[in-house]
Amino acid sequence: MTIQDTDIPRRRAFLSEGLRRYLAAFRTPRGLIGGGLLAIMCLAALLAPVVFPGAVDAQSRDSFLGPSLTHPFGTDELGRDIFIRCIYALRISISLVIVAVPIAMVIGTLMGLAGAISPALGDAFQRLFDIILGFPSLILGICIVVAIGPGWIALAVTIAIFSLPQFGRLARGALLTEEGREYVLAARVLGVGKRKIMTRHILPNAMDPILVQASLAMIGGIFAEAALSIVGLGIQPPTPSLGTLLNVGIRYVYVQPMYTAGPIILLLLLALAFNLISDALNAAVMKTRND
Amino acid sequence: MTDAPMLEVNDLAVQFDFGGVAIQALHDVSFSVGKGRILGIVGESGSGKSLTAKSIMGMLPEAGRVSNGSIRLDGRDLVEVPETELRQMRGRDLAMVFQDPQAALNPVKTIGWQIVEALVVHGMPKAKARARALELLRQVGIPDPETRIDEFPHQFSGGMRQRAVIAIAIANSSPLIIADEPTTALDVTIQAQVLRLLAKLRADLGVTVILITHDMGVVAELCDDVVVMYGGRVVERGTVEAIFDAPQHPYTRALLASMPRIEGARGRELAAIPGSTPDLSRLPSGCAYHPRCALAEDMCARKVPPLEPIPERPENTSACLVAQRDGRLPPEGEGASAASARPDRPETEAAPILQVEDLRVDFGSKRRFFSRTAPFYAVDGVSLTVRPGETVGLVGESGCGKTTVSRAIVGVNPIASGRVSVDGRDVTSFDGPATALVRDQVQYVFQDPYASLNPRLTIRQILNEALERRRLSAEAREEECARLMKLVGLDRHYLDRYPKAFSGGQRQRIGIARALAVQPKVLICDEPVSALDVSIQAQVINILADLRDRLGLAVLFIAHDLAVVRHLSDRVAVMYLGRIVEEGPAEEIYAAPRHPYTAVLMASTPKPVPQPGAMASKTILEGDPPDPRNPPSGCRFRTRCPIGPLVHPDRTICEREDPALSGDRSHKAACHFPQDTTQTTEMRERMPS
Repeated sequence: MTIQDTDIPRRRAFLSEGLRRYLAAFRTPRGLIGGGLLAIMCLAALLAPVVFPGAVDAQSRDSFLGPSLTHPFGTDELGRDIFIRCIYALRISISLVIVAVPIAMVIGTLMGLAGAISPALGDAFQRLFDIILGFPSLILGICIVVAIGPGWIALAVTIAIFSLPQFGRLARGALLTEEGREYVLAARVLGVGKRKIMTRHILPNAMDPILVQASLAMIGGIFAEAALSIVGLGIQPPTPSLGTLLNVGIRYVYVQPMYTAGPIILLLLLALAFNLISDALNAAVMKTRND
Repeated sequence: MTDAPMLEVNDLAVQFDFGGVAIQALHDVSFSVGKGRILGIVGESGSGKSLTAKSIMGMLPEAGRVSNGSIRLDGRDLVEVPETELRQMRGRDLAMVFQDPQAALNPVKTIGWQIVEALVVHGMPKAKARARALELLRQVGIPDPETRIDEFPHQFSGGMRQRAVIAIAIANSSPLIIADEPTTALDVTIQAQVLRLLAKLRADLGVTVILITHDMGVVAELCDDVVVMYGGRVVERGTVEAIFDAPQHPYTRALLASMPRIEGARGRELAAIPGSTPDLSRLPSGCAYHPRCALAEDMCARKVPPLEPIPERPENTSACLVAQRDGRLPPEGEGASAASARPDRPETEAAPILQVEDLRVDFGSKRRFFSRTAPFYAVDGVSLTVRPGETVGLVGESGCGKTTVSRAIVGVNPIASGRVSVDGRDVTSFDGPATALVRDQVQYVFQDPYASLNPRLTIRQILNEALERRRLSAEAREEECARLMKLVGLDRHYLDRYPKAFSGGQRQRIGIARALAVQPKVLICDEPVSALDVSIQAQVINILADLRDRLGLAVLFIAHDLAVVRHLSDRVAVMYLGRIVEEGPAEEIYAAPRHPYTAVLMASTPKPVPQPGAMASKTILEGDPPDPRNPPSGCRFRTRCPIGPLVHPDRTICEREDPALSGDRSHKAACHFPQDTTQTTEMRERMPS
């Protein structure tokens, strides 16, 4: 019995196979635009204090100036530059979701996978997710703010809790399909321990939808911050966040339309960036999954 | 073929265009079918046989187009016919039966609605259509059509669904039916029913059938003419007798030789075709088969052989340069005749390495809040013994519980009652030490080579996972990986690749290597070759047989294919509806089955030997297997049994009493009338028609 030498493409992995697939998403047009947009906004938010030191709270007599080269979005009721305040506001939005969503992702995934260790615990977590989803996000946010007081932490907790159920459910779905796969059965028959089966076989194959969901959850988080801050329960002035800017801006919508339009434009750009990234990720994982 | 052919395909070429990259998938396909004949198009996956069917139907995928040639149906070139007209012709002038009846029927519409739709689009008034639909259902043999017509596809069994699809295909009296692997998704007893139906339709209605299949046995039983395809080309064509008597293309010959047989001599190594089927986008130069051909010469790699009649065998038209030059296909060289007889395997009396006693597996009981659902035993009292070095075949149709048994043995399915012992120790509890014993001694080869390897791990990682149990050092593991790869005939340089780089047969070898990494004493093979092409199947079977003999493994070989089981097994157990109905030495069972189910199973298995009229005289099991949740009283086979109360109303014992597995020495059958089965001729006479 001889085995022929078919030309099997030679591949050696520099990065782990999984990571490479995700990075491949950023080479597609969608991924490139989304990633680029996000990178520009992150960079702007990071560099704002360096480029415009102190400008965020610098007041002047020129209130409600129209858009011009010096003030692209005009000035607000205290003569502060709306554009610079919007860029500063990005710091809050991005930092919130970058911290809260990954935490939710890890905890939610673990809670979803808990069913593999104890079916009762897994079921209990699923019911918990049902309860969380039963609350409108605003009401949930209000409850948390009331409990720990308004501010960045309360927002982060709200976003994390509110993102939990999606991750938990995706992870559980992946767990249930993966558990029945023949390679998982093969590992069980080989006597591989539960924990190793989890980390080696189930988790890597469950990561695809979870990462896509993470990108979508970021959008949810950004809008949750805006919603809570609009009603005054989020970030407290004078610190600018997209929500607090809107909160004030709405009052002057006829005098200074850019006061509301500016934050909304940035909100939409953020949402667009994350959406493009999640689309690209989804396409990339579907593609590799199919071959 | 004296009169004008029904369908004539000439120099058909199909090209695919993938973003500017053109791939030619079909080359110079030519054949014709006479009116009222059945033509079989045979080939392995990727040979272009389905694509040929789709071209005829004008249903090529969007990227594909016919780039050359003609398809003449009754003299009209279908390639030229505009799509709107073609749409009217489909169903009326040519109809199609698809592989998967589940997918071919709309699940939210009744069967009747779907047949009526086929009639109404071709102009029949609605009022008449229902009556015609009833008539069609009766014609394809659906019992009680008046009630069944208003049922939904999910209420039909697989075989019934395929009958309904056939009813739709013949609804408008289409003179040509193209059936694309119509029985591949069905069990062998149901396959026999559908094949007989096709033969009957041809006899009654005179329809012409093009049957696309990978199974040479099906071709031999049903077809008049054969077209063999390989790598997007027709490599041989001729009448079924000519092709099966003396194939004139080395591929056809090798394909026939690589099939395990249910009759005749056994125990020799199968003549496997080396290598794997080529990808249509990367065909070898010249004759596409030359890299795998034992007779290949230099010219084969340079020149594409034309399809021409072979001088000394004018009935065969073959695309083989060697056969065309020599006047006939020369006999194989020494390389392939290595199919020397394997010494008979001695019977063993050693203490069993694996013993299963009265095993029951419950799939039904679910705890609700206040109650428990009724238990449903997918496996109901199965006993099996496997001795060291022995191969036991476990045969049965899908749903009979054979996989459930095997998974219960390794502790994946929970055991409701009974006993499993390994190497004399009771492991039924599957507690710590018992599980460890099972893991060390019993390993498993899975059915689907595409699902049983984690796509995220390299072959080395997969094998290392299996080697973890043996706690080897890093160097020893490295050595062991290389040894395992060599054992299954793969190069060690492939270790760092991912499963997607391998073909199905190679993946299955990796699955075997993984199982052997633990150095088990028992190997459970769950349909290890059913997902593979015939030529690849033989490679894997040979490797399994070879490893078994070299390593002295005991094997529990599970399959639905009786021929494969016969080739490998020392003893055979036949399962039906969660029970073992017959058990004994392989030779004895195949020579003289004692249980009617075994006999029918063997009769239903298509044999690659053409016999005119074989279809009509064959014992075929009527009906479908009963619901295992609600098995019949007494003998579970009595509702389909050809010697039971169906034909002998006086045999009420079958309804009352569950027959025990009994018989002399090692050959046992669970039948009240085991003598009747042995007299098979008598059984045929008593068959209901």
